[in-house]
Amino acid sequence: MMSAPAQSKLEALGLSASCAEVLTHLWDYLDEQITPTSAERLRAHIATCAQCQQYEEYQECFLRAMSGLKQELSAPSSLRERLAVRLKGQGCGCWDKVRREE
Amino acid sequence: MTTATPVMLRSPGQVAEEPGVTADAGPQEARSASDVARDAAFERDALPWLDDVYRFALSLTREESDADDVVQETFLRAYRSWHTFIPGTDCRRWLFTICRNVFLRSRERQRPTVDLEDGEQDAVAAGSVYAAAREKGYDDIYARLDLAPALRDALDDLAEPFRSAVVLVDVEDLSYESAAEVMGVPIGTVRSRLFRGRRLLQEKLATVAEDLGFVGAASE
Repeated sequence: MMSAPAQSKLEALGLSASCAEVLTHLWDYLDEQITPTSAERLRAHIATCAQCQQYEEYQECFLRAMSGLKQELSAPSSLRERLAVRLKGQGCGCWDKVRREE
Repeated sequence: MTTATPVMLRSPGQVAEEPGVTADAGPQEARSASDVARDAAFERDALPWLDDVYRFALSLTREESDADDVVQETFLRAYRSWHTFIPGTDCRRWLFTICRNVFLRSRERQRPTVDLEDGEQDAVAAGSVYAAAREKGYDDIYARLDLAPALRDALDDLAEPFRSAVVLVDVEDLSYESAAEVMGVPIGTVRSRLFRGRRLLQEKLATVAEDLGFVGAASE
């Protein structure tokens, strides 16, 4: 059941019931967290609604940009060096592999 | 003599020597077969996730030096507790869980207490952000601009527990279920935190776009 604040926001946006469903559940849909039946219903509406297609594209671009952040950071060599020393202190036989990953 | 040092097996009752503490010390000695097997498994299953754990730790601490400490402690604990890891399960998720616990303990277990509403309200609010962006002509900013620096800044500013949810699901690509295990909360709570986090990020980025005077094709 949709909460009253959410309902009033949807009404203020002047959306159709189908558009409102897309707006409310697009993230669930993109995250594959809804049932196949619901997903099919959303997919069918999006295929025929230019406005919802644009919104889907907007959210997909956002999620791609978020996913892209993963490529930009790796553990610094100074950290690897310190961890290698401490693992060796624990008797870890593969301590030097921490360095080799660099 | 250049031949490799043979692995010296230790009998079950034999006490292991105190391991050395410097990285420049000689080869390991008196290692049992189970030690060797454990280390091989640790190397194979845990060490490849060092970068991932570092990213997650940095997202939690926001400070490189703090992240450094959290990562070291995470892997040391993982190594010491390796017997509790179930082979064949998701080691990255296991490491993330340890990492988050280490972080929370370092913050004296100040678990955030945020009043969370159902995620749908945030989903709808995100739609309002989009509608405003479209009206002002920058609804295509994610496609047209490299927003990585702005996204990182916005992510740094995002409060816990929303930041963890967004990092685990959107950056590290964990399922809701895995993120829930890492965060120690129900899946529904992950969804609520994730949606709130996304909405707050999009609001922040909309502000950035306006501050930069970004004008899309619709307004030109």
